[in-house]
Amino acid sequence: MAERLANRLKERRTELGFTQAELAEKVGVTRKTVNTVENGVFTPSATLAIKLARALGLRVEELFWIEP
Amino acid sequence: MDSYLLGMGVGIAAGVIVVAIVKLRAVKSMSVAEKAEYLSNRRARMLPALAVIFLSQQAAFLSNLGAQEQTSAYAAKVSAWLVLSIVILAALATKGFWLEPKAVRDLIDDENTRANRNDAMRWGFLFSMAAAISVYALTLFKVQLSARDAVHLVMTIGIPAALIRWGYLERRAHRDG
Repeated sequence: MAERLANRLKERRTELGFTQAELAEKVGVTRKTVNTVENGVFTPSATLAIKLARALGLRVEELFWIEP
Repeated sequence: MDSYLLGMGVGIAAGVIVVAIVKLRAVKSMSVAEKAEYLSNRRARMLPALAVIFLSQQAAFLSNLGAQEQTSAYAAKVSAWLVLSIVILAALATKGFWLEPKAVRDLIDDENTRANRNDAMRWGFLFSMAAAISVYALTLFKVQLSARDAVHLVMTIGIPAALIRWGYLERRAHRDG
């Protein structure tokens, strides 16, 4: 069975009061990329995952986890 | 030969007109992020339209397929088509938006875009190979095709496949939800 990378990006972003565009600007990508990561459409690289976690004040494994 | 040059000239002139329009319509008051978002959105809408334009240009070629005599008008159209093909391939292979500042171009070509572009290129390659196999198989049944016709057919399938795939992936990426 295929595993997927789940995340709580939207939850954390909303908690901190960021829009997708604001978070995108913080990590140097377009809003579209943040949108696709949030929706689970796109699996980010390790670099982007670390940048997102830093921007949201979490560790990578708190933001992303593998779901069977 | 003159007709081919004329066609290429028309293709390049059309490109210059498009560039001029894009430059004149450029929105100056946007930040880099806003501009990247705006252009990325516009590209997502343009890609399928570009595929339709590209395919519609094939009418001239398909109506003349296998013909011994090639008119000047046909040569001009085919040359213009060749210029368009090169421009589209360059856009597929690079970040595109060549006239925009580097900061905007770098942001537009972010991680997700590169992944989508690579996937589109993969589709273009697979469709091209499928077209090449089909053309090869056709010739086994005594269908006469010149090398030029064969290359044209392969490009006619491969390039729009990549454009449509990229357009689909970009539109899906922009969709909220």
